[in-house]
Amino acid sequence: MSSIAFEPISARRRRVDKLARGSVALLTAAALVPLVLILYYLVKQGIGAISIDFFTTDPTGSFLGDPGGIKSAIVGTVLMVGLAAVVAVPVGVGVAIWLVEFGRGSKLAHTVRYFIDVMTGVPSIVFGLFVYITLVLAGVGGSSFAGWKGSVALGLLMLPIVTRSAEVVLLLVPNSLREAAYALGAPRWRTVFRVVLPTALPGIVTGVLLSIARAAGETAPLLFTAAVVNATAFNYNDRMNSLPALIFQNVGQAQDRLVTIAWGAALTLVAMILILTLIARMIQRRSRLS
Amino acid sequence: MQMRYSKVLALGSAAAIALGVAACGSSNSSTSSTGGSSSSSATVNGAGSTFQAPLVSEWASRFKSSSGTTINYQPVGSGAGIAQFTAGTVNFAGSDAVMKPEEVAAGKAKGTPVHLPIALGAVTVSYNLSGVRTGLRLDGPTIAQIFLGRVTKWNDPAIAGLNPGVTLPSTAITVCHRSDASGTTANFTKFLADYSTTWASGPGTDKSVQWPTGTGARGNDGVAGCVKQTPGAVGYVEQAYALQNNFTTAAVKNKSGAWVQPTLAATSAAGVGAKPPANLEFSTINADGAQSYPITAVTFQIVWQDSCKAGISSATASALKAWLTYILGDGQRVAPQLDYAPLPTGIQSMAQARVAALECNGSPIS
Amino acid sequence: MEAGTITPAGERGTALHRSPAARLPDRILKWGLTALSVGVIVLIAYFFVRLVIESEPVFKQVGVAHFLFSADWVPSKNLYGALPLLVGTLITSVIALLLGIPVAVATALYITELSPRRIRGPLTVVVDLLAAVPSVVYGLWGFFFLIPKLQPAERWFADTFSFIPFVGGMVTGPNYFIAGLILAIMILPIASAISREVISTVPREHKEAALALGATRWEMIRMSVLPYARGGIAGGAMLGLGRAIGETIAVTLVIGNAPVIGHTIFQQGYTLSAVIANEFGEAASDPLHRAALIAAGLVLFVLTLGVNAVARAFVVRAERGRRATHTPSGMAA
Repeated sequence: MSSIAFEPISARRRRVDKLARGSVALLTAAALVPLVLILYYLVKQGIGAISIDFFTTDPTGSFLGDPGGIKSAIVGTVLMVGLAAVVAVPVGVGVAIWLVEFGRGSKLAHTVRYFIDVMTGVPSIVFGLFVYITLVLAGVGGSSFAGWKGSVALGLLMLPIVTRSAEVVLLLVPNSLREAAYALGAPRWRTVFRVVLPTALPGIVTGVLLSIARAAGETAPLLFTAAVVNATAFNYNDRMNSLPALIFQNVGQAQDRLVTIAWGAALTLVAMILILTLIARMIQRRSRLS
Repeated sequence: MQMRYSKVLALGSAAAIALGVAACGSSNSSTSSTGGSSSSSATVNGAGSTFQAPLVSEWASRFKSSSGTTINYQPVGSGAGIAQFTAGTVNFAGSDAVMKPEEVAAGKAKGTPVHLPIALGAVTVSYNLSGVRTGLRLDGPTIAQIFLGRVTKWNDPAIAGLNPGVTLPSTAITVCHRSDASGTTANFTKFLADYSTTWASGPGTDKSVQWPTGTGARGNDGVAGCVKQTPGAVGYVEQAYALQNNFTTAAVKNKSGAWVQPTLAATSAAGVGAKPPANLEFSTINADGAQSYPITAVTFQIVWQDSCKAGISSATASALKAWLTYILGDGQRVAPQLDYAPLPTGIQSMAQARVAALECNGSPIS
Repeated sequence: MEAGTITPAGERGTALHRSPAARLPDRILKWGLTALSVGVIVLIAYFFVRLVIESEPVFKQVGVAHFLFSADWVPSKNLYGALPLLVGTLITSVIALLLGIPVAVATALYITELSPRRIRGPLTVVVDLLAAVPSVVYGLWGFFFLIPKLQPAERWFADTFSFIPFVGGMVTGPNYFIAGLILAIMILPIASAISREVISTVPREHKEAALALGATRWEMIRMSVLPYARGGIAGGAMLGLGRAIGETIAVTLVIGNAPVIGHTIFQQGYTLSAVIANEFGEAASDPLHRAALIAAGLVLFVLTLGVNAVARAFVVRAERGRRATHTPSGMAA
């Protein structure tokens, strides 16, 4: 701290400095408290349900007998989020590629970016409502509630996240790489798929994993579209269980064991999302572009 | 090298997830439903009342083991159940309230609904008041005053007068009620309207009313949660939820003047004298009988007279009939284990006759 | 030089001249992706238009002004006044901002400026982990843990500070404050991440200049960092606000679901998103009720649109200001 030509720092200023820095540190600690409390609460309530059977049997709904596990919820979440990702990721990355490689600066690109921004802000429940009105009530596909309709709602949620994060990463790819490829005579498509995308891949994967983590935890869209069932379903046109929906529905059941299952499911869901998030962060940190 | 590492990591996680799913898929066949001839793998979808949800859930689990048919029941409240039923997204509705004329009209294109009573249950007046463990005595007018927001403290003279010898704290009363359209609400408000003209002309009787006071929650489970979490709270929940949460329930004064707790015996007693009309649309609120619990509700499952004309496949209609046959037959013996009263024999026969008369495209369902 | 304007050498007609057939994949890619992007625009436009069409019946019945400003929401009587819902959404979101943004900025400041270098990484990860908790878990934790634990404190606060408007009075279990608190925790990670990013772009020269003039650490932050990062932080706050406005499951579990306008922050209310979640099931066969819920969704959509526009304005202004004052580090003496 240089104070050669100027007045030494007064005691009052020193006090203010200490106080302010202390407050900032305190607030930061305060920000961590909820996380610790929630994790502790989850483990306390849900750990009793965890067992091998918990993950490999379906819930039975039985009040008097064995309540079963959460297998159908895990499978349903994986299947529905998986389908949503299979559609949303290529579309999202495709739009991002277009924005960066082909349409940059054009009026159309501005419009597209604006619409994607709009989409980012739409609450998930409005997506669920939209799918409910257009697909469920209308009985599209011969079914009312169906797993694929849940995927549509989740896909709508994931699309803007994937597009935005992919766009940011693609913009970070140095132009020199592109120029080098063109100088060597590579056509546009080869440059994109062999040079730009591989370079941006870790960043894109991070964005995709984060959007998957977000979609896996969403309840509201699934309430309206996929319904809650006990049996494991592999047919997308059937109703599918999902972890958030199972938690939401079972946590108030008039049967202690079913409640514990709900908390166990909550613990499982948080663990899954935490792992995905950590993997995403690890990939991001190792990426050359971060 | 760096790039390839992250690629490997990403592919690795994807593979892990895929393996996990595959493993789950393969274990599915080996650990799925126990014994029983899984002759049919039909699925019947229903939705509605949370009042009957514990019972339906137990029934569905047993029915699946014995017949292989899956019954998917979503406890979303009677109102939503009826709406889903008329909109065609479910095959049957669970409801504690008879369909209103406008609801029947909304489903006219699909056909005529048939109400099948399946059990009786008690709507308890549960409260959370430390130090008052035995059931407080509350009568209709007082309960109405509480839910109108006119009696706001537990030691109000109205309550104290009914409970001499009980020390009541001065805790404020928090009312817990339903935020969704509920048959339980319809039954409870019917009871209130019978004893309070203010209630009858004010909020009235319906699945969804304008509550003068209190906190709203979804489902019987939501109201139970509200009562459990709030000291001084009072709410109306089905007996199974009250038992589960160890609530203290009020002894309510019935028509004959007796103070009755919502026991299984009292619930059954309320059904004893009931004489339902041919269409089985009846109510046991405020029933006669010295031992009857006055807030006993009949809970129904509503199906189409002609399911196939309403758009349901004949296979599903057969499965639906098998389900109804079970719950009105063997299933009745399960009810008391969950503190629901089985149907009185006369009403049970009437219901079974109506099930036999259900049709698929004009002819009786096989 | 921008990637979009680089043309492969072949197209300029030099030695690497390629035949039209060889250029076909390029053209397919370009038009395919263009079609995809246009398709996304069409999808979102359809989404918006569909919402407007489906909500028309209720607007025709009661009028837009009545829908927005009447306080009676009683579907069983066909009364659809969404004011309590609107007020609830706004109150909880404002509380979320007031509680969450200072903490978010504090964590950002601490991580980038004040913390020992070694714990910076883990600390960042932990703050970001708050985003990994799904909203249903937040809601349940709020309902089962926070509400009972905080009620005595709320009552004490309401009694001690009853002279502050909107504080004194009845305290219910679920209320606006708890909902706002849960929302604050939920928007913390986003706001913190954006603030961190903005604060870390403050040019070193600005900070060093303040320190060279004899400022204490905190004074340096107050003089150089915060003013510079103000726009970006505000943008991040707006994004958090957008998230808070639309949050459904967590809110409906802790707000009390009463379609009334509570008199204090410790009373219960309702929000636009919670009403949709609670009532959509029973609206399946009631066209007017369904239209009312879609109208609520439309209002939500418009609200988040507005908030996002404000956020973008803040960020753009900050961006411009930053570019004006920033000297590339290579050029510093």
